[in-house]
Amino acid sequence: MTGVTLTCVDKVFGSTKIIDNVSMDIAKGEFAVFVGPSGCGKSTLLRMIAGLEETSAGAIEIEGRDVTQAEPAQREVAMVFQSYALYPHLSVFENMAFSLRLARAPKQQVTRQVKEAARILKIEEQLDKKPSKLSGGQRQRVAIGRAIVRQPKVFLFDEPLSNLDAELRVQMRLELSLLHKKLGSTMIYVTHDQVEAMTLADKIFVLRGGVVQQSGTPLELYDDPANQFVAGFIGSPAMNFLSATVSAVTPAGVLATIEGSGGQTLEARLDSATLEAGQAVTLGIRPEHLHIRESGFNTSVEMTENLGGVAYLHSRLTDGQKIVIERRGERQSYQGESISVGADAKHVLVFALDGRRLH
Amino acid sequence: MSAQKIASQGWRAAVPASKRKEAKIGTRKIENMLLLGITLIAAAVWIFPLYWAFVTSIRDESHVVSSEAGLLPDMLNLSAYGDALFNSNLLTWYINSIGTSVIITVLVLMSGMMCAYALSQMRFPGRRALYAVVLASFMIPSQALVVTQFVLMNDMGLVNSWAGIILPQLIVPVVIIVYKQFFDAVPKEMREAVLLDGGGEYTLLFKIYLPLNWGITSALAIITFIMAWNQFFWPFLVITSENMMTIPVGITQVRDTFGVNYARVMAVALLGAAPVAIAYLIFQKKVTEAVMISSGVKG
Repeated sequence: MTGVTLTCVDKVFGSTKIIDNVSMDIAKGEFAVFVGPSGCGKSTLLRMIAGLEETSAGAIEIEGRDVTQAEPAQREVAMVFQSYALYPHLSVFENMAFSLRLARAPKQQVTRQVKEAARILKIEEQLDKKPSKLSGGQRQRVAIGRAIVRQPKVFLFDEPLSNLDAELRVQMRLELSLLHKKLGSTMIYVTHDQVEAMTLADKIFVLRGGVVQQSGTPLELYDDPANQFVAGFIGSPAMNFLSATVSAVTPAGVLATIEGSGGQTLEARLDSATLEAGQAVTLGIRPEHLHIRESGFNTSVEMTENLGGVAYLHSRLTDGQKIVIERRGERQSYQGESISVGADAKHVLVFALDGRRLH
Repeated sequence: MSAQKIASQGWRAAVPASKRKEAKIGTRKIENMLLLGITLIAAAVWIFPLYWAFVTSIRDESHVVSSEAGLLPDMLNLSAYGDALFNSNLLTWYINSIGTSVIITVLVLMSGMMCAYALSQMRFPGRRALYAVVLASFMIPSQALVVTQFVLMNDMGLVNSWAGIILPQLIVPVVIIVYKQFFDAVPKEMREAVLLDGGGEYTLLFKIYLPLNWGITSALAIITFIMAWNQFFWPFLVITSENMMTIPVGITQVRDTFGVNYARVMAVALLGAAPVAIAYLIFQKKVTEAVMISSGVKG
């Protein structure tokens, strides 16, 4: 069953189109993540689903009901804000009970639902405290609790972990994932952090300039990006992009000469795309797919970041193109050395100069 | 390095740090003493009229006007207070003052708060122009409106009524400006959270924005009440019936009723000022805060 459906949705501010013809289906119970750089329209899209921004064109449906023109409270959604947006003069209990009190729910029901949410989030001890007495993580839990109490059809999260420190962010990320499994509700989560997107999402929507660039499971986006932007955005460290020229067309794909490598070539597999020798392309290779091998192209290692389990060799080709090579369990620094690297053809992606992926 | 700097460093090197600290403390002490002296003189100048009013009010009228009356209290005669309380309309004036001041305070705060909320939080055509009008009205001295207001009140048949006293005093743009400033500062997400929780503008104003700004409301309430209580000029114009007068206006009638009786005039003046003085003593901190907020010192 469908959780949230957007059909040809536009958002226009003055003469600027912030959201451009976005259509998407989010299944009921799915954890969807909108990800993209600042200003890509992901928060605007979330706010449009919440009803906090008017929709200029198109339709928004929640569990089959058209809510495009409905008021925020009538959409049966709950939102968790980046700044928590807790009411500072009310206790944690009253914060969580606020929506139920407004709906004139019976006192017993209010108490039961608030206590149940507090139990799920392990904040039962904090119910009498004011938000100012809580830590960042506890405040975020209260904000989530306030959403749970409403028993919404869709949970909306607008960069909820951005204000937390790195350690707490990892912990809360895990808890959110467990919460989703426990509640089984439809959740839409906005973030600019692709690690959050990869770890939380059932389905990721990558946005850029108000347009969905690609949607799919985290691994689909990682392994099979639709364009150079998605390939570069998903994955950390980012995919390496190398300027190259097609030197030969083979039955399985192409051989491309990498610029600045002294004429060294890399082979890439292509299914149907037709390229001609001499055509300029961009090759994409993830850092973990680059290996030190004799029959590769030369790079000089400028700096090595060794994290213990994994090391990143930051290198340059002779023409200045940067590449990062990932080495598992590496103990050698290579700093200042020239090394020869290569990649298997199946891991070399080919992009046209306009960023399109060539298959 | 400049010669001056080297010379200065030379002096520093020559005098031990402990001596320098002592000299610094000594300078600060002298500064504090001077400041205290100036403050005491200012306080004495301010308190003298009050002191003189009190001393006059406990003297015989004959003694007040005699050349023997000195600066120090030389008798305790409370008859002026008795006359003020029992032989004048003081209690009626109290009721009028309390009634009009409370109504003015409540209405000014309610209208100011709602106007500020609309200007701050709601989007409608002409919002900026309306706020410009509010700011402009802040710059018009109330005296400039007195004649037209009096004609208006007379035409409406409100002369010699509480409504006549109250209505022109409801124009207090500073309340709107102060409230708007505080409503503007509430994070946008709080408003959105309430809308998602199912609340409307009423919920937002009375359950979120107002409780968040109780400090401002109480400070504005105190200062508005004091201003309304002390108002003399307008009530003096619009009220001619002794039974409708407020205390500041009533004091002028004491003089008329008893002739020039300074002891009684001072007794009524002190009794009239007492509630506000007591309120001030209780809410001193809030009043100071309110004055700072309304004068723009504190944002």
